[in-house]
Amino acid sequence: MKTIAAIVAVVSKDVRSELRTRYALNALLMFVLIAVATILFALRDDHLSSDVLAGMFWVVIFFTAMSGLSRIFVSEEERGTTFTLQLVATPSVVYWGKLFFNAGLTLLLTGAVAILYIVVFPAFVVQSPSIFIVTLLLGDLGFAASATILAAIIAKAHSKGTLYPVLSFPVLIPLLMTVMQSTAKALDGENISDAFGDFQILIAYLLIMAGGSYLLFDYVWKD
Amino acid sequence: MFGKIDEMKIVKIASIVLITFVIVVGMVIPMVAVPQTFWQFPLIPGLEEKARNIFYHVPVAWVSVLGFLISLWYGFRYLQTNDFDNDLKSVSAAGLGFMFCVLATVTGSIWAKFNWGSFWNWDPRETSIVILLLIYGAYFALRSALGSDEVRARLSAVYSILAGLTAPFFIFVMPRLVGGLHPGAQGDTSGSTPVAQLHMPLNMRLVFFLSLLGFSLFFFWLWNVCVRAARLEQTIFSNKQ
Amino acid sequence: MYEFLSHNQLYVVLTVTLLIWAGIVFYLLRLDRKLSILERELKRIER
Repeated sequence: MKTIAAIVAVVSKDVRSELRTRYALNALLMFVLIAVATILFALRDDHLSSDVLAGMFWVVIFFTAMSGLSRIFVSEEERGTTFTLQLVATPSVVYWGKLFFNAGLTLLLTGAVAILYIVVFPAFVVQSPSIFIVTLLLGDLGFAASATILAAIIAKAHSKGTLYPVLSFPVLIPLLMTVMQSTAKALDGENISDAFGDFQILIAYLLIMAGGSYLLFDYVWKD
Repeated sequence: MFGKIDEMKIVKIASIVLITFVIVVGMVIPMVAVPQTFWQFPLIPGLEEKARNIFYHVPVAWVSVLGFLISLWYGFRYLQTNDFDNDLKSVSAAGLGFMFCVLATVTGSIWAKFNWGSFWNWDPRETSIVILLLIYGAYFALRSALGSDEVRARLSAVYSILAGLTAPFFIFVMPRLVGGLHPGAQGDTSGSTPVAQLHMPLNMRLVFFLSLLGFSLFFFWLWNVCVRAARLEQTIFSNKQ
Repeated sequence: MYEFLSHNQLYVVLTVTLLIWAGIVFYLLRLDRKLSILERELKRIER
């Protein structure tokens, strides 16, 4: 189908331009390293409860996402290619393309944070990998769903860097709360069936935010 | 609705009368262990005189939500019609809602200190009002960061809708996820507070609803004034150019 | 009256609250009146 091809084209264009220079990707990975290092220095050998560890895990992901996920639209504005993109592709194509790119990026970053956490914090032992993986998947997709349209919104604003977390935080709170709870369960080694309630919330969040963003994107993207 | 002076006169008089009534009655009616007449409130151990806060704190919190809803509605209408008057109404409602939200948080915090021991407890309803505060703050931060009138109106409408989409979570899911102090939360054996499922005696319920109505009407009056002022501002400043 | 108030402190709160409320109401009414005048003036000029 023409639309799918178009979406793939948008995604691959973004992937290629990011890989071409790699500045942004490197900066993001460095950010992850620094954030985890900061937390390591702050917490040292203190034995932490799974709630705190789960919380800190997602705090790092939140701020990493805030550093990285706005790029897809801000870079278009900076390079002056927004107008071209508006001419060449329909809003829904742009939306899905950017969404998939962001989803992929979030999964990548979350994976990096997870690996780092497991390596760096002895107390971060994932006793239920099944809960953990499902949480990461659903959480990341939900993250991407909200973050993408918010990135489109701030792309036209001044002081984008500080504005992005300010706008994103209230919208992401339901996701963060649920995902922290679920991750704590994963660390504690609970049964996957105990986490089904959380998964339901995450799926609901994902569907509502993705659906809502899809409907609203037209209004953000038009000029 | 804003042109007809008669409608607004009713709103103004009604809100003044209702709120004055609620202020007086809410404070003057004595609280006794066993109410004998209509003009006595029951004394609840643990709450005692502080229960009177219900008449003031809860309606203010309700109005802050009302402000958000009205702002949301007119934002949506703006997206449909592209009529700036809708954007004007939306911002005015948001500004007032924000003010009431601050008042609700502060009054709630003060009441919490005397009832539950500390100024802040991260009870789900407390958290929800803070999140509403954050949403309002984000809304105004966004508006101030956008230059063009049209873009500003459009994007702030979209943002308030997005934020509004997360509301069901706070209303339905969170109170069950996290146990709380407010009545109706997880682990609350109702019977400890009068607001749980409106287990208030008839006279208190009456005063409470009159207060709710009075404050809501008061909001509409304030909103009316704000919108008229904003319209005047717009006419005058666009004429100057 | 001072005797009465110092014994029934809730009435002190009531008096303060009513005063604040009265202040707010009068301010609003004044504002409302000013706006009406401006609106009428604008209508007149626009003709």
